[in-house]
Amino acid sequence: MRLPEFEYFEPESLEEAINQLAKNNSCTIIAGGTDLVVALKQRLQNSRYLISLDKIPSLKKITKKDDAVIIGAMSTLDDIINYTLIKEKFPALRKAAWDVGSPLLRSIATIGGNICLNTRCRFYNQSLFWRSSREECFKVGGNICHVAKKKNSCVSTFSADIPPVLISYGARVKLVGANEERVIPLENFYSGDGRFPNVILSGSKEILTEIEIPIPQNNLKSCYHKYRMRESIDFPLIGVSVAIQFNEEKRCGDARIIITGAGTGPVEPAQVRGMLLNKKLNANLISDAAEAAVTEIYPFKTTLISPRYKREVAKIIISEAIREVGGI
Amino acid sequence: MKKTIRLVLNGEEKNLLVNVNQTLLDVLRDDLGLTGTKKGCNQGECGACTVLINGKPVSSCSLLAVKADGKSIDTIESVAKEGHLHPIQIAFNEKGAIQCGFCTPGMILVTKNLLEQNPNPQIDEIKEAISGNICRCTGYLQIINAIKSLAKS
Amino acid sequence: MTNYNIVGKGIPRVDGPAKSTGKAIYTVDVKLPDMLYGKILRSPYPHARILNIDTSEAKKLPGVKEIITGQDLSDVRYAFVDTPRYPADERPLAVDKVRYIGDEVAAVAAESESIAEKALSLIKVEYEILPGVFTAEEAMKHNAPVIHDEQLEGTSAWEQWGVAQRKGSYESEIKVNNLSGHTSVSFGDVVKGFHESDYVREDSFELKATAHCQMEPHAAVASYDPIEQKLNVWLSTMGIFLKRFFLSKVLEMPASKIRVHHTFVGGAFGGKIDLFSYEYCAAYLSIKTGKPVKIELEREEVFMTTRQRHPMIIKIKTGIRKDGTILAQEVKAIADNGGYRGSGPVVIFLCHGFSFPIYNIENYSYEGFSIYTNNGIRGPQRGHGAPQIRFSIDSHLDLIARDLGIDPIDIMRKNVRHEGDVLPNGDKLNSCGLTECIEGAAKAIDWENKRMQFRAKEGNRRYRRGVGISLCSMFSGAMYYPFASAAIVKMHDDGSATLFTGAQDIGQGSFTTLSQVLAEELGIGMEDIQVVAGDTDLCPIDLGSFLSGTALVTGNAVKLAAADAKRQVLEGAAEILGVDDIDKLDTLEKKIFLKDNPEKSISFQQAIQASVLNRDGNPIIGKGFYKGYPQTDRYPSLAKGKGLFTSAYGFAAQAAEVEVDTLTGKVTLVKAVTFHDCGFPLNKTIVEGQVHGCVSMGAGQALSEEVFLENGQCFNPSFLSYQLPISLDTPESVDELVATIEPSGPFGAKEVGEGSVAGILGAIGNAVHDAIGVRFYSLPITPEKVLRALGKI
Ligand SMILES: Cc1cc2nc3c(=O)[nH]c(=O)nc-3n(C[C@H](O)[C@H](O)[C@H](O)COP(=O)(O)OP(=O)(O)OC[C@H]3O[C@@H](n4cnc5c(N)ncnc54)[C@H](O)[C@@H]3O)c2cc1C
Ligand code: SF4
Ligand code: FES
Ligand code: FES
Repeated sequence: MRLPEFEYFEPESLEEAINQLAKNNSCTIIAGGTDLVVALKQRLQNSRYLISLDKIPSLKKITKKDDAVIIGAMSTLDDIINYTLIKEKFPALRKAAWDVGSPLLRSIATIGGNICLNTRCRFYNQSLFWRSSREECFKVGGNICHVAKKKNSCVSTFSADIPPVLISYGARVKLVGANEERVIPLENFYSGDGRFPNVILSGSKEILTEIEIPIPQNNLKSCYHKYRMRESIDFPLIGVSVAIQFNEEKRCGDARIIITGAGTGPVEPAQVRGMLLNKKLNANLISDAAEAAVTEIYPFKTTLISPRYKREVAKIIISEAIREVGGI
Repeated sequence: MKKTIRLVLNGEEKNLLVNVNQTLLDVLRDDLGLTGTKKGCNQGECGACTVLINGKPVSSCSLLAVKADGKSIDTIESVAKEGHLHPIQIAFNEKGAIQCGFCTPGMILVTKNLLEQNPNPQIDEIKEAISGNICRCTGYLQIINAIKSLAKS
Repeated sequence: MTNYNIVGKGIPRVDGPAKSTGKAIYTVDVKLPDMLYGKILRSPYPHARILNIDTSEAKKLPGVKEIITGQDLSDVRYAFVDTPRYPADERPLAVDKVRYIGDEVAAVAAESESIAEKALSLIKVEYEILPGVFTAEEAMKHNAPVIHDEQLEGTSAWEQWGVAQRKGSYESEIKVNNLSGHTSVSFGDVVKGFHESDYVREDSFELKATAHCQMEPHAAVASYDPIEQKLNVWLSTMGIFLKRFFLSKVLEMPASKIRVHHTFVGGAFGGKIDLFSYEYCAAYLSIKTGKPVKIELEREEVFMTTRQRHPMIIKIKTGIRKDGTILAQEVKAIADNGGYRGSGPVVIFLCHGFSFPIYNIENYSYEGFSIYTNNGIRGPQRGHGAPQIRFSIDSHLDLIARDLGIDPIDIMRKNVRHEGDVLPNGDKLNSCGLTECIEGAAKAIDWENKRMQFRAKEGNRRYRRGVGISLCSMFSGAMYYPFASAAIVKMHDDGSATLFTGAQDIGQGSFTTLSQVLAEELGIGMEDIQVVAGDTDLCPIDLGSFLSGTALVTGNAVKLAAADAKRQVLEGAAEILGVDDIDKLDTLEKKIFLKDNPEKSISFQQAIQASVLNRDGNPIIGKGFYKGYPQTDRYPSLAKGKGLFTSAYGFAAQAAEVEVDTLTGKVTLVKAVTFHDCGFPLNKTIVEGQVHGCVSMGAGQALSEEVFLENGQCFNPSFLSYQLPISLDTPESVDELVATIEPSGPFGAKEVGEGSVAGILGAIGNAVHDAIGVRFYSLPITPEKVLRALGKI
């Protein structure tokens, strides 16, 4: 499969990039391209214009600013893995970046691309020829979902590794459009609609420029657990990020558990935050929390693995992750 | 649409006129005849197309050629120098790490980077380093052994 | 054992330098001046009638040079199996119907791949969609859609090679729908055997389609020279002479007008034997356009439209005495060969052929069916039937052992065959190390201490370990076109030699092992040998690298050619050394010396010079040839399992230690043990590499690999979704060679490279049972299946 015809621009400033984005209708940002190039070959992406962010140096910086780390959207996963402050303060972020794909992708894949990654489905991530065997589904503009036949919407699965971690750290992202620039909590970036799972894929014509993560207090403990069939190359079947702020008596303060692979966007099981609040972690509490968490995920058969199995392993890795954070 | 890129390819500075919709792999294989870089899957899943970009291994089928602008690219053709096989190439052959050879260029380039970063890799680190490179023939064992034999403790 | 200088050593591969520097040219790397690029339009439907094909828009696209459809070539038919009983049923491009998703409908040649792809999208095909059928069992039912309703003529392309052209129809007595092949073999009296048994058990197993995953995609380059009327082709293939034969038949060209050129082959594993539509189309398009045409398949096409391993259902009933002696066994196997016959009738024959050499069962009956469905075509894959049957039988015997409370190894030991045994078809086991293999494998896996121990000790622990064992066997070449291999050894002035062989090195190292045979026999060094191979114009015929025949058949041919050259060298030397009898001479390290006075010697160079000057200019060319099965002149019967199958069987015992995560259901192969009787190992490193490759593939197929099909559509046509093993899945591996000496093999060698994929499946299944007390009757044993079996989901 060869790449389709398109035009390619490499603006040297953000303004220029945004102008081009605003000017043209069929226009897509390319970061590392590890996902986009495949989508183009499979004709899932048919943009006439690609705008590369390669020549905008400001987007590649990682800096410390006051109480936060600012990561430029074009930082590669390798940059993130090797950045000392991230190693020290955000072990879960480093782990999630390390867990993405295979080593051959991580020196070009970017964090921005990971955040903006499209949702996936076994009926969608296929070639044009493959898809021509059946009716077009919602995600490619059709009127049916092959996975959830009764549902009137697309349930394709969010499968990026890094966003759950960022959300559990309370990260915010900066989106720059032609008329405004806004900073929003990352969880608000995701729409929940499988067809257009995030603000940018919904057509906001914005560029994600940077991620801001507050530097946590020492008593914030975090980790990321990814479950996949092969320990490299594969997307997460389920990934869980846990970040818990402990108080002096080792009771849980704010506890954030974010799951990937379980819905059309990152999923935060709401009950669990409350369940853990002010409690000391113990085996029973953890297993109750994990049980409760999986009642709030609704996996569909968008991969070759059954939702029942997903739910079961979600429970296991959620409790494993909480246990690791709690040192149990 | 075409664009001119400047890069250092196998140690030589080059200006290349490429189509913007070509991957680096396409340019290497189709335009430059550097067919040592293989196409196994064309979608970032097998590592047959590995090249070193600024020293780091990358799947060249997933990279637009235009994005190689300003970079230094090394392909398998650059590994043997002045008519002599590189020690990695010798070790691979002596230890049986080569069968059909289709994954071999990628494996060797990954090994080169690994040993530069970590001259004494442990078995786990070796397995991790080659975990994006699929080999169907060898079952990996002799590849792992070959790399281990190059480790300097 | 004799001390050899070169064979038996782990000598580095002769093609290693070319492969490790990127210089080795594979078919996908071939690029000719003014070359066109071909693409194939395929059916998106599993079963449909073609009503109309409109290529007019596509033809208008600038850069498109030629478009062909089935109408242009309606008479052409070919197939892997082509006999009066089983007439060829494939066409390069569909004429009336399409029978699986990916079936070829049209082919385009254009100036670039992009243009060719664009042209495909402009071809309009009207289909009438027909009901499809997707499992063999459904397809056999009387009301199932009939997939092949066309009348196929019963003449065989192999007529001049001994396939009898019988008149009359082959109306089968078996009345099932969509039957594509049937095998029935029996000996002894099964009913009586069951009657006399103390215990009888019946089980049913299911195996899924798997993919070869050769890393080099299938590709062909064809270049027709209209003046010479010669077709040059470069193919990623396992057998150049077989391909040439097929091409000459379907293109109706003399064989000598087709030249297959050598390229390296980036993996085959059985999946590059059949003639494929894209090969035919490349040739045809080149003939029509007068330009070279290249067709390289996408990875997705390799998965969906080349070949897969046959999914099978295998039912086994065994009667056994309390002491473990098997008295009777009845096996029924049903293989789904997809939309065309592929190797259906062969795989059901081989399920028998690769299994009956193992246990000596007096009363035995086997019945195999191959069935058409609307799935992708199935063909040979490493072991070709052996993994399916060996997994089933050894899982079944393990269950019986548990029922009877005896050690499965005792059952194996009691019933395996031995050296000297004559098989019911007449094949004689001139070498058979099965007993040694079993004992070695059991010891290496620590059978006594580990079996049943883990479970007992570990109680309710999350991770449980278990061990299992299984056996396998494999032919070393068989009677199939071209039936024989030959070799030519050409001596050079400087005393070195060039070996001309038609063999292909598909990664299994045959150029190296054949060079070793030559060097050893001739008494020269590896560095003195060049190999010219894989070229039908330059090289003598060769069996091809399938049915594991290269080491034995081609190896023998090379050895004979070397001996022939050596004799001539000695004759040249005898005159100079003043010896009357060449038997008084021998060679070593490129020198000829007197056996009783090694000091007295001359160099090869001198001997060759002497030969040219004193013996009428004889420059010394050695020739050797060897037939696949010296004692027979006919094909074994696929339908009746009669006739001789092979000159030597390779055997292996494989044991596995697994760890099961009872929470996630993931099974990890911790340790794999293979005791392999491959006769004399010509090259230890290469033999070990073959075994590791088999183990890895077998482990993949046992635990994660499956071509996932829904209504004939493959859901995982990529390395991301088809879960083949990666480096992190590599187990600890012990492999020992039980070096028997195969009297018919060169230096005692026989097959290696296929067999040991088959035993690991049963070993893993049995080990999982040992670990968690649950039996899996189908593969792969995925985490999901494990949790289901444990009642957790
Ligand atoms: C074999 C394989 C395995 C993979 N495994 C994993 C995995 O395990 N986990 C995982 O999370 N991902 C995986 N990926 C997906 C992908 O490689 C990563 O998510 C990667 O981080 C994407 O980054 P990129 O820079 O390459 O994105 P690109 O491909 O360049 O872009 C991805 C999407 O984001 C948009 N985009 C990118 N940057 C911006 C921006 N700054 N502003 C606005 N829009 C933007 C693009 O338009 C595009 O839609 C895998 C991919 C492959 C091919
Ligand atoms: S979930 Fe349904 S609509 Fe969405 S991509 Fe899959 S099949 Fe299409
Ligand atoms: S060809 Fe690029 S990763 Fe497979
Ligand atoms: S040697 Fe064949 S794929 Fe690795």
